[in-house]
Amino acid sequence: MYCDALVLYLIHQFRGDRTISGIYHLLKGKKSSQSVQDSYLFHVKPFFHSCDDLDRHSFQTLVERLNVCGWIQSAGSEQMHFILSTEGERQLTRFDLNKLIPDGLCNTDQVNDEGNFWLKLQLSVQTISALQYHQSAFLPITRQPSVTESVRKRIMKASLNRDQLASQLHHELHQLLLPIPLTEADLFAAQLTGFRMTGLTTSQIADSTGKDPYECRILFKSALRRIMKEVAEHKATYPFIAGLMKQTASTLSLTAGETFHLLKEGLSLQQVAKRRNLSVSTIEDHLVEITLKERNFNSSDFLSHELEQQIVETANQLNTRQLKSIKNQLHDEISYLQIRLALAKNTVQKGSLLIGENEETSKR
Amino acid sequence: MVRMKKHRRDEWIHRAQTVLKEKFGHDQFRCGQQEIILDVLEGKDVFAMLPTGGGKSLCYQIPGYLLNGTVLIVSPLLSLMEDQVNALRSIGETNVRALNGLIHPHERSRVLAHLSELRFLFISPEMLRGSTIRAALAKITISLFVIDEAHCVSQWGHDFRPDYLHLAEIRTQFGHPPCLAVTATADERVREDIVRSLELHHVSQTLMSVDRANIALVVQRVATNDEKVDHLCHLLENTRLPGIIYCASRDWTERLADYVRRKLGLRVAYYHGGMDPVDRRKIQNQFLDSQLDLLCCTNAFGMGINKPDIRLIVHFHFPATMNAYLQEIGRASRDGKPGLAVVYYAKQDEQYPEGFIDGNFPDDEILHRSLSELDQGLLTIGNKEQFVSSLLERGVSESAARFIYEKVQNKPIHCTYLSIFDQCKAVINKRKAIQLQDLSVMRNYLTSTNCRRAFYLKVYHEHQPAQKPHNCCDRCGIEFSDFRQTESTNKNDTERHGQILDWKKRLQIIFKEGERADAPIRNKRV
Ligand SMILES: [Zn+2]
Repeated sequence: MYCDALVLYLIHQFRGDRTISGIYHLLKGKKSSQSVQDSYLFHVKPFFHSCDDLDRHSFQTLVERLNVCGWIQSAGSEQMHFILSTEGERQLTRFDLNKLIPDGLCNTDQVNDEGNFWLKLQLSVQTISALQYHQSAFLPITRQPSVTESVRKRIMKASLNRDQLASQLHHELHQLLLPIPLTEADLFAAQLTGFRMTGLTTSQIADSTGKDPYECRILFKSALRRIMKEVAEHKATYPFIAGLMKQTASTLSLTAGETFHLLKEGLSLQQVAKRRNLSVSTIEDHLVEITLKERNFNSSDFLSHELEQQIVETANQLNTRQLKSIKNQLHDEISYLQIRLALAKNTVQKGSLLIGENEETSKR
Repeated sequence: MVRMKKHRRDEWIHRAQTVLKEKFGHDQFRCGQQEIILDVLEGKDVFAMLPTGGGKSLCYQIPGYLLNGTVLIVSPLLSLMEDQVNALRSIGETNVRALNGLIHPHERSRVLAHLSELRFLFISPEMLRGSTIRAALAKITISLFVIDEAHCVSQWGHDFRPDYLHLAEIRTQFGHPPCLAVTATADERVREDIVRSLELHHVSQTLMSVDRANIALVVQRVATNDEKVDHLCHLLENTRLPGIIYCASRDWTERLADYVRRKLGLRVAYYHGGMDPVDRRKIQNQFLDSQLDLLCCTNAFGMGINKPDIRLIVHFHFPATMNAYLQEIGRASRDGKPGLAVVYYAKQDEQYPEGFIDGNFPDDEILHRSLSELDQGLLTIGNKEQFVSSLLERGVSESAARFIYEKVQNKPIHCTYLSIFDQCKAVINKRKAIQLQDLSVMRNYLTSTNCRRAFYLKVYHEHQPAQKPHNCCDRCGIEFSDFRQTESTNKNDTERHGQILDWKKRLQIIFKEGERADAPIRNKRV
């Protein structure tokens, strides 16, 4: 089953360096936390935020099942850290990795905006369909004030009559769905709501297509990301839908972006924390995110070149990305932040330096 | 003088009936509605108790079209508010708005800028505490001050809202407009609280029976879960739908939905509070749009649901109170046609409500720890959402977290948080005792050997109607064949287009457009 392969693959990539929650948070796309960094560190960026509607309970059930099957085992003595068993490795090789990661999933440039964009798109479709069928009242798919407000603005700004609106949005969606794989297009459209035609949930789609819900989620995300990429690159071709997308290109989360702005003004971490009324550890999280995503960010204020070298060497020697193990090996003055920065910098710059064996697996 | 009064009353009746016909498309008022509406139109303070599904909205909607000014409706539940706004919009009313915590600041400004043009304004009690909003409302003419779910004002009630305690004072600030307090269920104690706390002097009271005569009541005793599921499947195959199955846990809603779909091929979905909000909304809309035959859900479903043709309500697990039970079965057959309510009772199900009651309150350890952490500054109150979510992270249940919030917020300034520990315990014990008492009433209902209807009417101190309905309850005997589905009612294929998976077809229907010519495919796309 797809879900088995997916979780086996992720456990393989994480190599027992994080608890199983790390994988859950990755799939959920937990913001401003370890997860963003993990997605770079373990080379699983496409999966970040790929199953944002996943609930913990069903994920745990899945992991327990893999455990019962004997495909995963505890990594050393630490609780909730898992690695693949030999049988698990074998199971994973039986699965075609190209099927595991549909192409569209790798378009992660707009990952921070995709949740919002999708809500806005669904609400636009629902609203315009209701207008087209002269339905004076309907229960909107979401009540999030920021979403309803921006859809309202978008529709007003279009200054088109209802037929034109329907025709425009239909045309844009049609053009966007046409070139993408049929399964993905169907899965995408099945979730859209119109007049007297409420969209299906992924679990309903899974039931009616016989796919497993994880595969449905991933295929849907692949479709969504293809569409967002296409729209971002050809805004003029899709004027209505482009208007639903966030305009800035940065992949930084909103909150990390704000921290970045203050750091550039010359504030220290403590000052930023104070100014933003956030904890220093949150600001540190932002700093790591900035290091990962902003190529021209200079982190030498926080980490000297020698120190960075030393950390990277240690990490390679130990063949781990577990902060605690690395810190134990080094002298006490080195902070966790410095270790995280060093690891972050080196995933970006020298890609393969830290990965070695992982790269090989994914080429299998 | 008396004649003139009578004359005026007749005229109001005539005008109210005209609005009923023209705006709402009904020929006749339902039982009790006319008296309530007339009292309201004559400017009296009114307390009305109407059963769930008894048409209480109409009691303020009609006056909205006959009185000058804005009808202000205080409503504690967002979903209910949304449904009420929607109901008015769908009859073409455009001057209706809502103010609640979910409103975007821009929308709030728009509403405040056009207050005087509104015919109906729904507002949450929290919003009413804001001074800007109150000042703006004080400037317009409020024709009627409606308090929905009025039982929230009473500490004896099942969902007490501290914000409701300020409503009398707020009403004075608005120039003391006439007040209409409505609720579905309130026993004598709660009724007294409502009248006193809202300061309804010389109030005109209309108390309608909680009884819904068109709903037949069945209690089915079973020994095991397997037996229960078998019974249920048999029932579903032979009973008119759509229906709702209430379960005590999220897990059960998913398992049952899956089983019933496989076994009977019905269009069934599950619904519970652990789902993604958008998915929850989709399932709700599918049910309303008749895309589903059956919904397996927890009690998270149903508030603000207005679907008149639900024919079957099953309780796979019984609820904790008679009140909740009546409210949940009250969702059946609001159109007045026959409906069926079946509750399964297995001895082992008693764990669920007892567990709920315990889960409603913090245990000693959690309470003690939270209060100490507040004293030490490890936990801060901030606003309600922040406080509740930081307790949730500490593993406290949501209702327990809300309880703690309610208590610590009212702590006297000069003492420590820990000093209110004993007082909190006392309140917990008191409220728990009430809930356990409610539970035992429910249990007695399930084990009663007499007429079910007679039983609950007695609970609400009501007399039995002179004549029993034809299909009353399992004790009086009912004809199951009266609830049998006919071929045309279920499994109807024309309603299935929600299931269309072909994307081109789906888009055509959504946008009500013809087929689109396929443009050349961009070849650069991978
Ligand atoms: Zn009876």
